[in-house]
Amino acid sequence: MELRWGVRNLRRHPFRTALSIAGIAVASAMLLDMVMLRGGLEASFADLLLVRGYQIRVTPKGTLPLDSEATLPDATGLVATIRRDPGVASVAPLVATSIYGRRVAGPDSVVTLFGYGIDPRDQGLYQLLRGADLAPDDSAGVLLSDASAAALGAGIGDTVTLLGVLDPQMAAPAMERRLVVRGVVQWLYDYRDQPSVGTIVPLMQRLARTEQEDRVSVLLVKARSDAEVEPVVDRLRAQLGGAEVNGVADLVRHFQDRMVYFRQLATILGSVSLLVTVLLIGTLLTITVNERLGEIATLRAIGVSRASVVKEVLVEGTALTVVGCALGVALGLVTARYLDEILTSFPGLPATFSFFVPRTPNVVTAILVTLLTGALAGLYPAWLAARAPIAPTLRAEAT
Amino acid sequence: MTVLTGRGLTKTYQLEEQTVHALRGVDVDVAPGDYVAIVGPSGCGKSTLLQLLGGIDTPSAGSVELLDTRLDTLDDRALTRLRLTKLGFVFQRFHLLPVLSAAENVELPMAEAGVVPAERRRRAQELLEYVGLGARSRHRATQLSGGEMQRVAIARALANKPAVILADEPTGELDAATGREILNLFRRLNGEGTTLVVVTHDDRLAAEAGRVIRMLDGRIEG
Repeated sequence: MELRWGVRNLRRHPFRTALSIAGIAVASAMLLDMVMLRGGLEASFADLLLVRGYQIRVTPKGTLPLDSEATLPDATGLVATIRRDPGVASVAPLVATSIYGRRVAGPDSVVTLFGYGIDPRDQGLYQLLRGADLAPDDSAGVLLSDASAAALGAGIGDTVTLLGVLDPQMAAPAMERRLVVRGVVQWLYDYRDQPSVGTIVPLMQRLARTEQEDRVSVLLVKARSDAEVEPVVDRLRAQLGGAEVNGVADLVRHFQDRMVYFRQLATILGSVSLLVTVLLIGTLLTITVNERLGEIATLRAIGVSRASVVKEVLVEGTALTVVGCALGVALGLVTARYLDEILTSFPGLPATFSFFVPRTPNVVTAILVTLLTGALAGLYPAWLAARAPIAPTLRAEAT
Repeated sequence: MTVLTGRGLTKTYQLEEQTVHALRGVDVDVAPGDYVAIVGPSGCGKSTLLQLLGGIDTPSAGSVELLDTRLDTLDDRALTRLRLTKLGFVFQRFHLLPVLSAAENVELPMAEAGVVPAERRRRAQELLEYVGLGARSRHRATQLSGGEMQRVAIARALANKPAVILADEPTGELDAATGREILNLFRRLNGEGTTLVVVTHDDRLAAEAGRVIRMLDGRIEG
């Protein structure tokens, strides 16, 4: 009976109810987005790191992967050392450097590129989109991304010219190589429209002038499927004293430290949206209860208990919240996609990264928190209704 | 033997600096099957007396006993339950829930009393037929006329088979013809054994009552 009574009461003032539902929908959409943002950053980052199954990163001491221009010497020795660990399945060396390329078509001009040196047998950096992958010893081939293909004006089978880093003595590239485009790939950690190219490690080391010391930027390590990752990380730390060894969990922790502002922003905006929900529901129900004090006093007079009156008011609050929340989830998912597109277009962020990850636990959390808030918001007006003095209210109604 | 008794009922209100004496030591006895009309000029304390007898308000002094239970010994929950099951109320302004149908309004006290849905639907229909509104049970309260609303309110008051029906100016908002219908309904109810206590300005209603209590300045006259 309370349900029927409560829901029909909301229909007494359809415009007011619709406005409140719209307000709750916006507030719950914001809450959902903030919950997705808060957990999504970390989840997306962890997914990104694990996308090719490499759970460990070895970098120069005091740095994080591709965070600086620092490099690790004696890559071959390091790879051999790491491969000797019984928990390691594979190691992927990676060179990352700025290089240049000459446009194939159009006016002769040089474009700045981002160069990766990779081992095609063990690589955790790209996915082949079109054409062929590099052979392990293919020193005449190159992989492009769509962005670098566009920048160079080249396609699969074309020959492109890559220019190495500048020699400061000669003020000219130290090396120039003509390479055939074997395939087009998606570089997993590239930001949107980043013009990256990839060659085998030795060639990229020569272009970067680091081949003498056999330097690489990062080593990506994959643990055996039957091995625990953390013990492998601990062993590698002990063996590679001069390098930084981090598992995905460590990197996510570092990332969390850097993204603390986003988390704070998400917490603040999420709290604001909850407050708005409380105010909306609380205000609407308080107005409704005050308008119906005479009716409530009559019901109390004829023997309707305080508990039933409280239940009825809470039913109204919950009904408002349920409808508002359902609309809010849909709105939140749509706005999250839109906001994600804006935020991931910031320079320096991997294009495959997501700020808002709509995972079931996030959605369920947002829904539950909103529903609980809606129910709590009805407590004050429900208390007002239950405490309404019967006789004075009836007297006031009669005059 | 009485069903409802008031002894030394006194009620004072504090209105800012002023103390208002609404009732000054009133004694009332209502026997089963009585039809009592409480009459008097506005402000004489009639409605206050009815509210005290109905356990809606508490006296400043004195006591009310309903079916051998002193109301001042009950907590709010027990008093609410007593009002629900032993008393029926009819108000001047009907006070039906506008969002519910006539039948749902009549069902409300039964739902509160825990009557199962099928039984309360059956009884609500029966009561609406009794008050002549069997065909209008699905109409919302707002779709009914004043007289029809008051008849629904009477059906609601009868829902839990109360020992006494307390009515405060039940014809006060109705025109003469409609008031007469309510009058006839009360006569029929009392004729079938229902105990009625009615506060009224309406001479015709008072004339129907078996006993008239005249009040003036918070006291019973004569």
